[in-house]
Amino acid sequence: MNQDVSKSVPVQKSADIPLSVQGVSKYYGEFKALDKVEFNLEKGEIFGLLGPNGAGKTTLISAIVDLEKASSGDIFVFGEKVGRGLQTKRDIGFVPQEVINHGYFNVEEILTFHSGFYGIRNNKKRIEELLQRLALWEHKNKKVKQLSGGMKRRLMIAKALVHTPKLFLLDEPTAGVDIELRNSLWEFVVELKNQGTTVLLTTHYLEEAQELCDRVGILRNGVLEKMGHTKDLIDELSNRKLVIDLNGKAPSGFSHPCLEKQEKLEGVDGDRLVFKLPKGTEMGSIINSLGFSLDSIKDIQTEEGTLEEVFLSVLNS
Amino acid sequence: MLMPRVAFWTYLAKEIKRYLKVMNQTVLTPVVNTSLYLLIFGVSMGENIQLSSGVSYLAFLIPGLVMMACLNNAFQNSSSSLISGKFSGDLEDLKIVPIHSLEILWALCIGGLTRGLMVSSVTFLVGQTFHYLTAGSFIPLHQPLLLIYFLIIGGLSFALLGISVAFWAQNFDQLSAVGAFVLTPLIFLGGVFYSIENLAPFWQKITVINPLLYLINGVRYGIIGVSDVPLSMAFLVSFLGFVFFFSIAYVSLKKSSYKRW
Ligand SMILES: Nc1ncnc2c1ncn2[C@@H]1O[C@H](COP(=O)(O)OP(=O)(O)O)[C@@H](O)[C@H]1O
Ligand SMILES: [Mg+2]
Repeated sequence: MNQDVSKSVPVQKSADIPLSVQGVSKYYGEFKALDKVEFNLEKGEIFGLLGPNGAGKTTLISAIVDLEKASSGDIFVFGEKVGRGLQTKRDIGFVPQEVINHGYFNVEEILTFHSGFYGIRNNKKRIEELLQRLALWEHKNKKVKQLSGGMKRRLMIAKALVHTPKLFLLDEPTAGVDIELRNSLWEFVVELKNQGTTVLLTTHYLEEAQELCDRVGILRNGVLEKMGHTKDLIDELSNRKLVIDLNGKAPSGFSHPCLEKQEKLEGVDGDRLVFKLPKGTEMGSIINSLGFSLDSIKDIQTEEGTLEEVFLSVLNS
Repeated sequence: MLMPRVAFWTYLAKEIKRYLKVMNQTVLTPVVNTSLYLLIFGVSMGENIQLSSGVSYLAFLIPGLVMMACLNNAFQNSSSSLISGKFSGDLEDLKIVPIHSLEILWALCIGGLTRGLMVSSVTFLVGQTFHYLTAGSFIPLHQPLLLIYFLIIGGLSFALLGISVAFWAQNFDQLSAVGAFVLTPLIFLGGVFYSIENLAPFWQKITVINPLLYLINGVRYGIIGVSDVPLSMAFLVSFLGFVFFFSIAYVSLKKSSYKRW
């Protein structure tokens, strides 16, 4: 189920594996930005690379796109080694963390040149399709500095997709983007996944990552601390919660091993009790063990664990 | 990698389009500058200057200014393209897209050369106009092929030098320092404005180690058939210079960071 990252990745350079990161370390002088990072991506998945600021996410993505050279270790993209030849670059589409300002060129020119770099001479159709889809068509004659923040982001995304890459890398594509645009971007990412694109992204929005990512990896100080299927990690590292609202006050001195907090319900003369359920606890048995009569219970809710809890539990361990 | 690929043509087109978008800055301003030199030195002061070769000072000056325009603009183009790319992050794209280092190198230096040739051609036309107005005739071209050879090899070399300097520079100041403290003195002291026969022997000795002397006199020979240095030396120096600049530009391209500032 959950993978212990240090020994899970066999050495693979199969053309079926979109991305294989093998023992990659990166030093900036003495400082170790990446420490033997190792993982594979599966075809067609959305993989979320999570981690606090400075964890090494951008450094890792930079190594994959050949912008930074790893100090040691190898990276393979569909079986081709990064840094040897140009094939890996053809397979990858990359959205950098920071928006690039293309000076005097307008949106359409930028995308046309970018297509040319991938050897595509006439890419009008694809460019129009992307601009329409990303709501940039009306702005195709504008320069980058004339675009709003959200449009700039969308332009970066369109640019990364002109050559229809098989592996799509997004470094914090939604940082500082309003919720509406964020949602539509995620929708678009899912659309790409459904077309068979493999996606690796980094984000700070854990709630969205939880919904979107098939698997996540958590990076801390350059170490890939945890990696696995999002659901499995939530099962493993977070707790379900049981929230019980009482009609009246809880018996004075009430205590229970699972009780997390007890608070007064707003506006009524009742108490709210929040229990953190240990794994494998049966709901019935815990309610029984509380010893409340059914009459005294006003409401019962359960809350599933979240990726945020997983994240915090990994970072605090 | 023997046949230029789409990526190469794309980058070359982008380079050319880039400076054409700001024609005022990249083509017009340099032309105005050299026209002022022509007017002040060639037309107004030149009447009093005698040269042993018998050519008028204006005719002597025009080739120097033509080459100066070519070298300066070729250097400016490749270096400012790279530096602004470092600044905006545009340069990172070059590392990410499937393009060979040699394609980048050739696109940048040919792009710089085209701007050099454009400005030097206009300079030449302006010079010819002044010559017609003062002497009543155009200067006939002595050896057009030699002229083209020296313009091309000089323009390519300086565009290559611009590449190396731009990759090495950590900020705009360092780039302009190289221009102001190294290139401009070398070009000015390389015989744009005077013949070395007019210099004291000591300064003559110093001047002959300036490689720019050979490039400038090569062009001068191509236009008016007069040169301060043997043509064979001009060939040799220009060719070795090109090989040298090509090599360092290639190494800088391979070794330097493309990351934004
Ligand atoms: N060029 C560099 N020189 C020195 N240190 C760097 C450089 N780039 C990144 N770092 C350091 O490496 C660490 C990881 O950075 P980064 O990959 O950008 O983190 P993240 O994207 O996860 O926020 C940070 O501590 C950062 O300061
Ligand atoms: Mg980052």
